[in-house]
Amino acid sequence: MGPLYKFGWFDVVYSFQLAGLIGFMFGFVLERAGFGNPRKLTAVFYLRDFAVLKVIFTAIVVCILGLLYFSVFGWIDLGRVYLLPTFIWPHIVGGLVLGVGFVMGGYCPTTSVVAAVSGKLDGLIFIIGMMIGSVFFAEVFPMLEGFYNSGDMGAIRLTDVFNINSGIVAFLVCLVAVGAYWIVEKVEQKFGDRDTLPKGSPKVKRTAAGILILLGLILAAVNPDRITAKSVVPEIKPEKQVEKVQQPKAKSQTPDNTGFKIIDDEGC
Amino acid sequence: MNERYTNPYIIGVILGLILLFTFYTMGRGLGSSASFARIATAGVNLVAPEHAKANAYFSNYLRGGKSPLMAWLVFLTLGASLGGLFSAFISNRIKGEVARGPSIGISIRLWLALGGGILSGFAARLARGCTSGQALTGAAELAVGSWVFMLCIFAGAYAAAYFFRKEWL
Repeated sequence: MGPLYKFGWFDVVYSFQLAGLIGFMFGFVLERAGFGNPRKLTAVFYLRDFAVLKVIFTAIVVCILGLLYFSVFGWIDLGRVYLLPTFIWPHIVGGLVLGVGFVMGGYCPTTSVVAAVSGKLDGLIFIIGMMIGSVFFAEVFPMLEGFYNSGDMGAIRLTDVFNINSGIVAFLVCLVAVGAYWIVEKVEQKFGDRDTLPKGSPKVKRTAAGILILLGLILAAVNPDRITAKSVVPEIKPEKQVEKVQQPKAKSQTPDNTGFKIIDDEGC
Repeated sequence: MNERYTNPYIIGVILGLILLFTFYTMGRGLGSSASFARIATAGVNLVAPEHAKANAYFSNYLRGGKSPLMAWLVFLTLGASLGGLFSAFISNRIKGEVARGPSIGISIRLWLALGGGILSGFAARLARGCTSGQALTGAAELAVGSWVFMLCIFAGAYAAAYFFRKEWL
């Protein structure tokens, strides 16, 4: 049962190696998407190419579905996944400023790395800027500390705000995603350069959208919260499902029955 | 220059699976901006160790007397730079240049890149993460703050886009 690291499947040294591997895949796919090119990235803000929105939204939807299905099948204990806490005011202000920084500098933090290694001097300068910004933040931190910790709502999820189960939230996110894809494709066909926009058969797109909504609908019907709440309390055997990933060298501990526990971790 | 990129939906699905794999193995998500804060902290610690230890935010990264660079995210970012390099190499996209629109000069573009970097570095610390560590990771967990953060990134960028149109178009 995952998360493997939290159950002692490997040590911190191996986790660093794994970080390198995951990072490699991360950087690779970002470059494949063209996200080392700031004109490709910022085109989303001029309604010409919505690749950024499509990639982020698709990744989020796939991961939401994946996490919830994994939890339904008993492959992951979501209570042991570090849930990012909400500090609503810093999140709002930080998001707005980061957005301005994005369109001004042409990158967000990870894409600037991809740009810099593919030879773009502006990507490297952006990284230097980020370090200056981080140092500046640390220097003024004593003044900002109150604001930094303001609007603390704890580790809350959309399910808590809307008071519906996560299956229904996932289903709604799927619907919003398909609707958003449909709208942005209309918009980019109008404002963008049709020769460089990705092509794709409408039939494949309709099928994919159908599958997405179906997967969301199944989750909404299943209600993953009910299942995880039930499966965590009686101790199920976690060893059974994960044999194929890695031989357990370290002793894998069984989940304790505290339900949804937040493990303190550095989130970002 | 080769500008034939992979379809964004396919990239999105693969990125979602990478993120899922990260959650499954590590119990946490992706991230990036903190590694630059850590590198900057290491720099400050090298030049002025007393100052770094006295600062409430830097000292956070220096806890336990370990190097601020011995962190999971630093290795992730290292991997990302290699992965990006590999991808750019195999599709012949490595080229020394300053990426910009046709109607802007090199020097002003570099100043704007620096300014954008400073804003982003500051904002990412304020919001406890950036596009990957906060928006992508948190949104996949259905965290409320991450969804708000992501919507605000788009709001801020769309609001400011008009003023930087000469940089890109």
